[in-house]
Amino acid sequence: MTAARPPANAFAAMGTVVSVRPGRAARDAGTTDASTAEPSDARALGAVGDVFARWESRCSLFDPDSELSRIARGELRLLDASAEVRDAYALALHWRDATDGRFTPHRGDGVLDLNGVVKALAVEEAGEALDLLGRTDWAIDAGGDVLAAAGSRLPVGIVDPADRAALLARIDLDGGRRRAVATSGSAERGDHIWTVPGLERTPLVQVSVAAADLVTADVLATAIVAGGRAALDDLAARFDLDALAATRDGDLLATPGWPRQVRARG
Amino acid sequence: MLLASAASAAAILGGWQLGAAATATLTTADGSTTLDTSGAASGSSGSSGSSGSSAPAASGSTGTTDSSGSTSSGSTGSDTGSTGSSSSDAAAAASSADGTYTGSSISTRFGNVQVQVTISGGAITEVTALQLTDHDGRSIQISNRAEPVLRTEVLQAQSASVSMISGATYTSAAYLQSLQSALDAAGF
Repeated sequence: MTAARPPANAFAAMGTVVSVRPGRAARDAGTTDASTAEPSDARALGAVGDVFARWESRCSLFDPDSELSRIARGELRLLDASAEVRDAYALALHWRDATDGRFTPHRGDGVLDLNGVVKALAVEEAGEALDLLGRTDWAIDAGGDVLAAAGSRLPVGIVDPADRAALLARIDLDGGRRRAVATSGSAERGDHIWTVPGLERTPLVQVSVAAADLVTADVLATAIVAGGRAALDDLAARFDLDALAATRDGDLLATPGWPRQVRARG
Repeated sequence: MLLASAASAAAILGGWQLGAAATATLTTADGSTTLDTSGAASGSSGSSGSSGSSAPAASGSTGTTDSSGSTSSGSTGSDTGSTGSSSSDAAAAASSADGTYTGSSISTRFGNVQVQVTISGGAITEVTALQLTDHDGRSIQISNRAEPVLRTEVLQAQSASVSMISGATYTSAAYLQSLQSALDAAGF
């Protein structure tokens, strides 16, 4: 297709697109030399790209040469995989248990799919790389999973599942207990979320979860889509999160902490 | 038994501080009787594992031990170990647990929690949340249960000024249809 290509601060990875706000170079704040700004931004973007490239080579099922693709084909034993892959698998199993199986790295066809944790892990690690470069006020959006720098506020729009060119809601990340927001849906890719056995079809077409870190937000958004209303109530009670869910009927459900109608700032 | 079920009210906020809630030194509303239940508490703390790092300090020891017991200056503390049946009235001893008890203020990841429980005839008849505040001191909901909202409530007037987009955007094709690509192109 001759569609527009992603702009310079976005790149394709893990079957989606990663958008990066490189923020500011805090350590250079005193420097007035404008010529240093551009290379510094480029370095920040490069660091993020490197992190994603590393994770993609390990765990992307979109990359046939990744470790996980080789595991899926039976060419590589999980025990022989890199420590990062094994750690990601352990993390995914931890979350499977914490969500009573609503989140699982085991696809229905038997393939091990770590995308549910790896995308968020990559974003978190890329954020650490930006911190190490002395960047502040950065933000990273990997296919709808957004993480903002600690201490930085970031207004995030939630896509309307019925029209992805429109917004459903807005939440402002606070740089602390709500540094991350992730959205999962049952509409975009039917294979992404495996519904819990016994539940015919999830009544929730889209769920957004805001939490302190992106792995938690991403995993729980997925688990709630898979587990429906019961999972929403259960997980919202057990974890420190705010959630907004869109039902198949077009209704919205929000936890008490999800932001509502704040008055315009004066 | 009673204490365990009383504490379950606090479980709505986060199950794992049950032990902490149960450690509360309970004081009747009139301050006449004090139950020290600390023995039952230590065992249950740390159960129902959740993220260990953010586990709340069971600040029961330092928290306000009895909001209503301030009048009990005469009855200095509790003779620990006694079950509170020190009342001379035999009839009262039969249902010695009856009364209204106030738990300590417990610090949780959601904020401070303090619960008052009324026991009558050996059964819990009422549980009231006395103190539920977030870390900024504002009162909070006891439940995080999701409820229906209107789109106009959550959309907010300033939605146009968002910097990033969260959606179930799993394909690059979808990305190009999404607002995120427009934001990126605009250099937001």
